[in-house]
Amino acid sequence: MQIEKRIELVKRMDWWLLGAMVALAVGGVFFIYSASYRGPGQPMPSYYKMQMVWFGIGLVIYLAVALVDYRLICQWATVWYALAIGLLLLVLVAGAKVYGARRWLGWGSLGIQPAEVAKLAVIIAVSYFLFHRTPEMRHRWQTVLWTLLIVGVPQLLIFAQPDLGSAVILVPISFGLMFVSGVRVKHLALVALAGVCLAPVVWTQLKSYQKDRLTVFLDPTKDPLGVGWNLNQSLIAVGSGGFAGKGYLQGTQSTLGYLPRTVAPNDFLFSVIAEEKGFVGSMCVIGLYAVILFCGLRIAAYARDRLGMLLATGIVAMLFFHVFINIGMTIGLMPVKGLPLPLLSYGGSFVLATMAALGLLQNIWIHRRVY
Amino acid sequence: MIILRSFRDRNPRLEAMGIIVGVGLFVLLVALWRVQVSHGEHYDNRQDAQSLRRIRIPAARGEIVDRNGVVLANNRPSYDIVIYLEQLNRMSKRQDVVQVAQASLGALSQTLQMPVGLSDRDVRIHYQLRRPIPLPVWRDVKAEQVAAFAERASTLPGADLIVMPVRQYPQGSLAAHVLGYVGKAQQDGEEEEIERYYYYQPDSVGKQGIEHACDELLRGAPGGKTIRVSPGGTMVGEIGEKTAERGGRVTLTLDARIQRIVEEALARAPVPAGKDVKGAAVVLDPRTGEVLALASAPSFDPNVFNPGTPDAVITALMTDKVRRPMYNRAIGGAYAPGSTFKTITLLAGLESGAISPNDTVTCTGSLQIGNWHRSFGCWNHAGHGSVDAFTAIKESCDVFFYREGMKTGVEAITKVAAEFGLGQPTGFDLGSERKGLVPSPAWKLTQRGERWWDGDTAQLAIGQSFLLVTPLQMANVAATFANRGISWKPFIVERVESADGAVIRRGMPQVRGRLSAAPQQIETVRHAMLGAVRDMDGTAHHAAVSGLSVAGKSGTAEYDTAQGRQKRVWFIGFAPYDEPQVAVAVVLEDGDSGGHTAAPVAGAILAGIFQKSEDREALANRDAYAD
Repeated sequence: MQIEKRIELVKRMDWWLLGAMVALAVGGVFFIYSASYRGPGQPMPSYYKMQMVWFGIGLVIYLAVALVDYRLICQWATVWYALAIGLLLLVLVAGAKVYGARRWLGWGSLGIQPAEVAKLAVIIAVSYFLFHRTPEMRHRWQTVLWTLLIVGVPQLLIFAQPDLGSAVILVPISFGLMFVSGVRVKHLALVALAGVCLAPVVWTQLKSYQKDRLTVFLDPTKDPLGVGWNLNQSLIAVGSGGFAGKGYLQGTQSTLGYLPRTVAPNDFLFSVIAEEKGFVGSMCVIGLYAVILFCGLRIAAYARDRLGMLLATGIVAMLFFHVFINIGMTIGLMPVKGLPLPLLSYGGSFVLATMAALGLLQNIWIHRRVY
Repeated sequence: MIILRSFRDRNPRLEAMGIIVGVGLFVLLVALWRVQVSHGEHYDNRQDAQSLRRIRIPAARGEIVDRNGVVLANNRPSYDIVIYLEQLNRMSKRQDVVQVAQASLGALSQTLQMPVGLSDRDVRIHYQLRRPIPLPVWRDVKAEQVAAFAERASTLPGADLIVMPVRQYPQGSLAAHVLGYVGKAQQDGEEEEIERYYYYQPDSVGKQGIEHACDELLRGAPGGKTIRVSPGGTMVGEIGEKTAERGGRVTLTLDARIQRIVEEALARAPVPAGKDVKGAAVVLDPRTGEVLALASAPSFDPNVFNPGTPDAVITALMTDKVRRPMYNRAIGGAYAPGSTFKTITLLAGLESGAISPNDTVTCTGSLQIGNWHRSFGCWNHAGHGSVDAFTAIKESCDVFFYREGMKTGVEAITKVAAEFGLGQPTGFDLGSERKGLVPSPAWKLTQRGERWWDGDTAQLAIGQSFLLVTPLQMANVAATFANRGISWKPFIVERVESADGAVIRRGMPQVRGRLSAAPQQIETVRHAMLGAVRDMDGTAHHAAVSGLSVAGKSGTAEYDTAQGRQKRVWFIGFAPYDEPQVAVAVVLEDGDSGGHTAAPVAGAILAGIFQKSEDREALANRDAYAD
């Protein structure tokens, strides 16, 4: 393709989506700085600089993914899928063990989380699979079962790491895709029912810390100095922010280490923002996510074909559940799970995965049919 | 909604997705509103509770000075050797902080040659609860130990020398019972309170005397710092600081010079050989009620109550049941007044008309009252012969007062005793005084279940019976005679100034009461009291001071105690006779007689106050008289 045509494509971008993304990314860097801040003159980890590097790389991926026609990308669906399964298998064998879980594949301080790759690969694979089913076929059980199989394999591998949060998030993603693709609601309901029946089995497979997190969610006053610590400190951070917040770098929960320094810049970054910017800040964050999510749904609605619609829906579902579970977790609405906040939380793999997903959304928008 | 409709046109299920996303985000907003706005304050408080700690810095206690500005109590620096567990922990690299601390203390103990008195538990509790503040290891160390520590300071990590104010009494035991002492405040706060406050040292509170009575004025306002701590309890910053406000300065009516004279005179009291002096003496200004001296023996050194003193020493002092040095006999001791009470009986008789100054009674050495199996004896078994009121006081004739007391009657006597303030607290501002007892027929019936009879009245008339008075009350009786019937309320706090010099409280002379007797009746008693000291045959002659006209009355009350029969010996009096400037009361718990044991003490006191020598002739003839 010629350069002019590429520029033409860029001009068709969804600027709202890009704007919200940049706003969140910039805010993320600022609050990662705040989350690692330890008082004036104190040495602090430079996560925020790393995050800027990740955004730099992410922007390149974003543009690359946005400009190559998504239909071309999806033709490679099986490759992406196989690659993801391969990485998931590799991480189980050769992954770095951090806090008893093998989630990282990498060399030294650089590394990727195959689970993040898998989320995107699953969205593409399921969308591609559903796209090729005729409407009649979609009404049959086989479609549902095949989908569950496509999702289930990586899910089991992620669960084995263990990374409960990432494994769980695949469930709403696949349900969203099936739902939008026209699978019978009755079928989905039956699958959900079966899932509920299987829950006790899953429970027996959980590690004790995972069970603790779930029981603490049901009763936050239980063991506030132990497993309830993170939740309680996060609630104090969010709550003490009040309406207007304490001001940038004025939050004490992360500065003093009440909000543990290992989780403040990533999984609990929202608590830092809420403490320093109050309810006003919370509204801004949720507002920006609303822009991204509704842009995503509009992209799904205006997509050139069903494939684009499905891809966009899957991405929206992924982002929405990340946001809902993460923010819900910081205020005790959801159990504590290791799910980061898209674009805000510190973490290379997830930043890249999110940027790629948003690039894909832009891609679908750019290639929409213009009437 | 327009967006959602556009979704529906394409795919109705996209609209459903949109609704799910919208509702989800709305739920988050509502939940955040609840946490941040509705319950924001609750979480704010929880945050303060977990991360804010207050460090209290004690205020320096105010000074206590005498009427001339002589310092009786102030503060001196105490050098405490402390360790900072926070620093030790930082250096220890994951070793147990208690072990590190004890090892460091062991080394310190060797260099300073002082044993360590801290248990592992003390260290752990301090580490857990009060980590940012220093842990005192040795308090109030001596100068050479300060020097030894300073020499090696650089090689002793985590250890430091801090200076804390400690109460001191520059005059030693002088006026110990008036000043009192300070001790640790009871920390009976709740657990949470203790956890949220850090104390550099417990607040000192006055435990007795002026330190106790004026505690709030002396104490000042403690200062403090609010600090933030990390989850581990390490200090991470200061939020606010308030400097401690020095306590107020208390000026007493006491005169340190007179107090010293009184205490020395008391110490040299001619008590029977081998016995401790136990007793009290009070000197008042009869014109105002100001207390010029107030002493109790045996005494103690209030400097003992500092943080460096071993507990055993203090316990020994507090539990000495034999000498009872902490006990302020001048206001807390209630004794039978003995013959000093005859002044009151005489005034009551004169006032009621039962006695006329010229009445005479013949004393044969004893008197039979009613049909009691024993006769009531006079101290002079040989008998005084014919005595009038003047002689009866001067020579302290018991028979005269048996007879004339019974004629006067118990009601008249107790009425006048009440006018002098006996049987009731004087309202003295030092507090904790006993009120004594003036018995009456009604009292005897309810308390003893026995009827009052003439013999009780006769005993009351000579100050025995069930009568109980304090030395302060008797000093006030002397002052009332000195003052010709006007009785002032005794007080000792002249004024209290705040740290900035403003007068917060001023002790004002207050008339407590007036005698109802006629002036010439009071004069009759005064004159007899003059005779008792002035005349060579007066029983109180040992109180005489040459060049000074002293009036007074001695007394000896026999008393059954656990140590056998003892005599409470008294002297009350005033001087100079015409224009009295001081009134004095002296009591000794065990002595030969008022005239022999208490009067010389009073004489020495008065001679000292007026800077005159004691009556040499009287001293030479000390054993020639008895009462």
